[in-house]
Amino acid sequence: MIVAQNLTKRFGRIVAVDGMEFDIPRGHVVGFLGPNGAGKSTTIRMITGFLPPTAGRAMVGGHDVVRQWRQARRLIGYLPESAPLYTEMRVRDYLAFRGRLFGMRGTARRSAIDRVVGHCKLAEVRRRPIGQLSKGFRQRVGLAAALLHDPPVLILDEPTVGLDPAQIREVRALIRELAGSHTILLSTHILPEVELTCDRVVLIARGRIRGQGTIKELQQSAAGATQYVVETDAPRAEAALTALPMVQRVDARRLDSRWYRITITPRADDIDLREQISRSLADGQSVTRELHRLTPSLEHLFVKMVADAETADAPAAARNGSALRPAPEGADAGAPGQEGTTP
Amino acid sequence: MSRALAIASRELKAYLLTPGGYIIIALFLVLVGIYFSVRSFDLGQPSSLRAVFEVGTWLLLFVCPAITMRAISEERRLGTFEALMTAPVSEAEVVAGKYLAALAFLALMLAPTALHVAALELYGRPDYGELLSGYLGMLLAGSAYLASGVLASVLTTSQVVAFLLTLFFWLTFNAGTRILPQHVPQFWADIVQSLDAQQRLGLFAIGLIDTAGIVYFLSLTAVFLIAAVAALLWRKMP
Repeated sequence: MIVAQNLTKRFGRIVAVDGMEFDIPRGHVVGFLGPNGAGKSTTIRMITGFLPPTAGRAMVGGHDVVRQWRQARRLIGYLPESAPLYTEMRVRDYLAFRGRLFGMRGTARRSAIDRVVGHCKLAEVRRRPIGQLSKGFRQRVGLAAALLHDPPVLILDEPTVGLDPAQIREVRALIRELAGSHTILLSTHILPEVELTCDRVVLIARGRIRGQGTIKELQQSAAGATQYVVETDAPRAEAALTALPMVQRVDARRLDSRWYRITITPRADDIDLREQISRSLADGQSVTRELHRLTPSLEHLFVKMVADAETADAPAAARNGSALRPAPEGADAGAPGQEGTTP
Repeated sequence: MSRALAIASRELKAYLLTPGGYIIIALFLVLVGIYFSVRSFDLGQPSSLRAVFEVGTWLLLFVCPAITMRAISEERRLGTFEALMTAPVSEAEVVAGKYLAALAFLALMLAPTALHVAALELYGRPDYGELLSGYLGMLLAGSAYLASGVLASVLTTSQVVAFLLTLFFWLTFNAGTRILPQHVPQFWADIVQSLDAQQRLGLFAIGLIDTAGIVYFLSLTAVFLIAAVAALLWRKMP
């Protein structure tokens, strides 16, 4: 439904987006994930036809967004970053104006407005000037305007930026609700957002795709990142754990006069080592107060991807485009964040 | 066309919902009113708005850039331009909408001067042909000024720059068409002279509806609007 072919944008000598290739099938929710300035908005602006690509092309619903712009734009509901709106207009008037731009008339327009006002919970503010509304309401007005002509494709640039946690949850629920019947592309730099709302993820850094696939696929691609964390008071724990056959590396850190915190990196991800670890620590005297497994989180992957993009931005890494493995395995063992990244 | 009208009506409402529009109207009416009471509405003066039209054409030079300065520059600055240009709307429809709104606003601004006409009617016998000709001249010149203002607002995201660009262009243009003919060969002098906007407006003010004048101002309007569309399309060149 949304296709990018070698999509490239240069601003003077700066390459903002470099040879993007992706194909989002109908009905999928895909998240563009990347740090600020990665090229997410520029890519989205090319797909919506706002910015012309320097090279390559974008197609929506089979229409080239540059050549068949009118047909392509009719299929797209677009919420630009920070939802720009005419602040002097009332919500209802703004939606009516958007309806007219999409060629909607009379009763069809009125019923469409009623539909999106209900959908986005705007009934109480429909007569208020947009300038008086809170950020959350404005975001919803932008979303309502995007949904007004009932487009099959929704493109949302940072839809939850600047909202409070309750509003973020509402917007995410709305996106999930629309997911079945719409093809949705959303960009974000917030990781839980992608995990909560998207079927597939496209990781972007420095204008290039660094990995794409389902969240599960991406997690698997980060193989070698599983770790086990143990807190024990056994003085010989480090030696005992190093002796285990499936263990690659053990890092022990003394917490205080009694407790050690030990991080274990296994040789393979597919075997659960928790039982063996527990057994090897049980000597009848010492106590183990914590044992858990850390699976690679999207956050770990994200941080690694950004770091890789920063350092190894060599031509060799360039055409890694759609590869699922953004970096050599085990490149930074011991990197997953400590507490807080537990699944 | 219906999209251009949608944009025009939104834009016109925006003029009337923000203080800027009223400040422009008030300023224009106050200055025109002062001029009217001093120059026209006096014993022994002809029952005509000739003096008002003469000063009005100069006022338009300042007022029109003020009307159009926000047209597209403000949308680009606020980001609403992105929402507008990703709707199924063409560059020509946007420019036409902005221009029509500005022209409608100009007509609204001129409308209250009908009170001056009423005052003339009370105390004299004004020549309505001459009055109509005067208003037509104001609208035609205004149309050209507004079209150039729309072009300026495409070229910059700053309202102030758009205003000054339009104003300086017309001040230079007017000065040029006055001064240049004295310094160039006769052939060129004739051409430059025929471009003199103020002279053509003067004819309308005294009741002379000159077809050449109408064509002149409409042509200028078209040239500026086409240039504005071209400038918007240029932005989209890869």
